[in-house]
Amino acid sequence: MKKLLFICMLLSLTVLYVQQALAQKEQHKEYADMKISECNSCHKGEGVSPNHDSDWVRNHRSVASKAGSNCAQCHGQSWCLDCHQGGGINADLTKATFGRDYIPKSHRSDFVTIHPIKALDNPQTCYRCHDQKFCNACHDRFPRGSLRIKSHLALGSGNQQYAPGLDEHATEARRNLQSCQACHPDGDVCIQCHSSGGTNPHPRNWRSIKGNYKDKAGDRVCLKCHLPGTY
Amino acid sequence: MGINGVLRFFLCASLLTASTGWAAEIHGRSSTQFVSFSNELLNDHRQIELAEYLRLSITKIDQAGKFSIHGYGRGSQDFSNGEGLNGRLYYLYGDYSGLFDKVDLRVGRQFVNLAAGSAIIDGAQIGLRNVGPVAFTLLGGRDVVFGLNGEIGHAGNADLGVSAYLDGFRKTDLEVSWFRKWDDGDVARDVIGATFKQYLLNNLKLYGNARYDIAAETFNEVLGGVKYFPTSDLILTGEYYQSYPTFDTTSIYSVFAVNRYQEGVFRVDYTVNEMVSLNAGYNRQDYGEDATANVYHVGAGIRPVTPLLVTLEYDKRNGYYGSLDGGSATLAWDLAKGSQLAGGITYDVYERDALTGEETARRYWLGARHKLASNMALSGRMQNDVNERYHRNVSGRVTFDYDF
Repeated sequence: MKKLLFICMLLSLTVLYVQQALAQKEQHKEYADMKISECNSCHKGEGVSPNHDSDWVRNHRSVASKAGSNCAQCHGQSWCLDCHQGGGINADLTKATFGRDYIPKSHRSDFVTIHPIKALDNPQTCYRCHDQKFCNACHDRFPRGSLRIKSHLALGSGNQQYAPGLDEHATEARRNLQSCQACHPDGDVCIQCHSSGGTNPHPRNWRSIKGNYKDKAGDRVCLKCHLPGTY
Repeated sequence: MGINGVLRFFLCASLLTASTGWAAEIHGRSSTQFVSFSNELLNDHRQIELAEYLRLSITKIDQAGKFSIHGYGRGSQDFSNGEGLNGRLYYLYGDYSGLFDKVDLRVGRQFVNLAAGSAIIDGAQIGLRNVGPVAFTLLGGRDVVFGLNGEIGHAGNADLGVSAYLDGFRKTDLEVSWFRKWDDGDVARDVIGATFKQYLLNNLKLYGNARYDIAAETFNEVLGGVKYFPTSDLILTGEYYQSYPTFDTTSIYSVFAVNRYQEGVFRVDYTVNEMVSLNAGYNRQDYGEDATANVYHVGAGIRPVTPLLVTLEYDKRNGYYGSLDGGSATLAWDLAKGSQLAGGITYDVYERDALTGEETARRYWLGARHKLASNMALSGRMQNDVNERYHRNVSGRVTFDYDF
């Protein structure tokens, strides 16, 4: 019975996919100047979800992939790069282009002041446009101790250190390790305690994956904490 | 390539525009922007810059119209802080599509995007299609990384990617790809990615994507979502997303234990009529070890009369790492054909820690744009930031756009 059900499902899917394979994707170039509302009524008629809605900035990633991407029929690469790499040739009145990088709508207010909180909403989002070096380039310009890092305020606003007695830093680092990298790109403060013989910072499956790192990056990282031949 | 590349790009562009006898078509935009802002990286000294953006496409170079060249770059000159000439060449590539009706070739600096990773490369991308239900892409080249003062990558930074994806399926998209990044000769990233989209029953869309980090042997990102659209005006979205922060294998952070981040999103987008559209959402975030946050969002687009558009957005966040309560209001008024006046305010109240207390960040801005001709426009924008760092921080720009 199960086999029969499986065969029926397989046949149904084959029929469905063959039918779809015969139907080519709609070319959108000639619709480039249409109003979005007009696009969407057609989309609905074809069983395709409306897009370019108010959720588009957050959601476009799942559509703009290689497979079936129609973006290039209406947009040049500059459309992507103005947001992702700080262009500015298409900036409308709502957008700021001051400084080195175009500031998209998702960067509200003076984003520098609110980015420690905003960057927590899906931490991977920052890295879609900014290399980690981007964080360092800015954070490096401020003298150590002049930034108000929430997790470093445990000893008072003028003393930027973790309070080891509160045992907060291990938890905080596991939740938000990317922010550590912004000021300590080489992990200089980490290896003070975590170097060989100190507290083990590795994940639980380290024994099974450490060979991968050695294969890919050699001894480059290991030697920061361990003596040659001891890891 | 840096600033020399940008200069070469602008020089080539000027030569090409002078070649009137040529059958090829050249289109693009020149945007000249005069900007003034307080440079926070230079002790807030006022920076006065003149920036020139140039984007162009040269098409119909060959008789069949298959070969084209595309470029986009920026050069800027600082007049006040000694920053001098700065520039970025975003892309400059030759594109040959449809070789034997199967092969697309793109050579030069370009933006590449696969499910497994994206980058700007100095290299080549080859696409193979019309060979069945699956198409293929192979790409590779030097990895281009922009810093605040030019390019910060070096010769040992490189990218290589390959993808296979379903081609021609009207309601199904599926891509599987692999992306590798080298840093100074070492393999810094090795990622397998997949993305998927399927329309069902005329009103459902299932979608998802995932990235698997080969070195860490874990999924760096997983997204699964469903959109339900009973009418073209109403969209309900539900998503689950998780990420496990992974770092370049050349970074010491790659060997540290981290927590998995998870979030659930529910969202409604509703277009009431041509005058009103509404949206609302809720986002539940989990950072591990009992750290959670909630983000609520509401927004509206209102067009009380045809030339006026009012956009309102508000969101409220509370939980791990602090609270944020704020939003924005924007007005755009089409004064006449080709003329627009716009303005807005953003207002955020946030608290990162009980020690820092509650703080506010505000931005007021005003802008205007006027079309001088069908291919020329003049625009200006001024903004003032008032926040914990600035009692007053005024920035402004004047832009002249010329389309050719």
